[in-house]
Amino acid sequence: MPNRPTPSPSRSERVRMAQAAATRSRTGVLVGGAVLVVLLVAGIAFIATRGSGDDAPGGGASASGGTVVPSGDLSTAAVQVNGAALPPFGKADPDPAIGSPAPVLSGQSFDGSTVKIDPADGRAKVVMFLAHWCPHCQNEVPRLTDWLETNGLPSDVELYAVSTAVAPERGNFPPGAWLRREGWPVTTMVDSEGQEAASAYGLSSFPYFVAISADGKVVSRTSGELSRPQWEALLDAARAGSSAPSGVSGAASPAG
Amino acid sequence: MSTATASFFFAVLALCCLAGVVAVLAGGLIQWISPSARLLTLRRDVGDASVALAALVASVATFGSLYYSQIAGFTPCTLCWYQRICMYPLAVILGVAAIRGDRDVRWYALPLALIGAGFSTYHSWIQAFPPDSGTSFCTAEAPCTTRHVWEFGFVSLPFMALCGFSFVIAMMVMARPAPEEVPDAEPTDPQPVTV
Repeated sequence: MPNRPTPSPSRSERVRMAQAAATRSRTGVLVGGAVLVVLLVAGIAFIATRGSGDDAPGGGASASGGTVVPSGDLSTAAVQVNGAALPPFGKADPDPAIGSPAPVLSGQSFDGSTVKIDPADGRAKVVMFLAHWCPHCQNEVPRLTDWLETNGLPSDVELYAVSTAVAPERGNFPPGAWLRREGWPVTTMVDSEGQEAASAYGLSSFPYFVAISADGKVVSRTSGELSRPQWEALLDAARAGSSAPSGVSGAASPAG
Repeated sequence: MSTATASFFFAVLALCCLAGVVAVLAGGLIQWISPSARLLTLRRDVGDASVALAALVASVATFGSLYYSQIAGFTPCTLCWYQRICMYPLAVILGVAAIRGDRDVRWYALPLALIGAGFSTYHSWIQAFPPDSGTSFCTAEAPCTTRHVWEFGFVSLPFMALCGFSFVIAMMVMARPAPEEVPDAEPTDPQPVTV
């Protein structure tokens, strides 16, 4: 019936069409509103996190704050070692490293800024070695962070950490992002690809701690997760310059 | 985009999803206690938009998951993979259904979302309260208990996934025809009365 004019829609059809159009527009409003929410949240996220970055020059990715881990994600960098390497940490009792001068480490933090660990600068120290993928380090870092948030950084013992044994394929990478998330308040150096800092301090498993007295000599070495009393004993040993019982404290991940 | 910005973004969106789920539950409860025409209209409108909203959430969740593994460099653990297996197809089938206006997609989307929500509930639990004994799912290389994200002191990656899955489940329930929409009979046109 090519010549017949198209019949105009009946009243009920017009009502249905109008209703369908209204429904479509309300659906559009709902979906458009949802997309708008996504865009709005993106804007807020940019503004909110930019603000926190300004407030915390240390990187400030962690909601808990207090981190001194800078915002860069350098995972390895050249490390200069001055001084004789400590013997590898083992089961020997007494530890042959006790009383030996600890070597000086010069390197960089996650953003390329200089970090120098100089045991002979007249201040007692505890140097910690962490691997981003090691579950025991992942347990230890929040525990120490809690302790440091409660007690503050010790005024008479300097704390340093060294991020070593970087292996992106083993997870929780990059180490800088992990430590920022944890609000890690300890100045951290990145080890070289050849793990020279770790070798110089005789690392054999993670986490690994070396307490150094004010005169630059090793007073205690320990490996594995530390309980609060063990951690406090390590600080006391560095402070007093006398040996605390060293040895494997808790669960540790083997190096390599 | 830094990981901190991305995590804030995805965490707030996850909480928006959770707010949506709570609103759907509250609306359903109010409608059950004292039915009102306004709520029914709203329910119908949300029902019409349900598939598109679920597709949007599944797509953003998929994008977020890929961002964290491919750009931020986090290694997905075994439990993460099970949740990904459920979320990725949702983004595709809900997207197609949203374009076609096919609300029957709920029969395919609901099982995926429910299975995913099961895994993310367990995973959220062990990230919030890490068990001393570890879990049988994960390895030392990709531990399930590592909190790659911990926004606002409680929003982890699996918690975000749980919010996304819950929202998809809520929308798929809303995708059912509203009571008055059940196609029981063609509406009858009032016929002009001829005398």
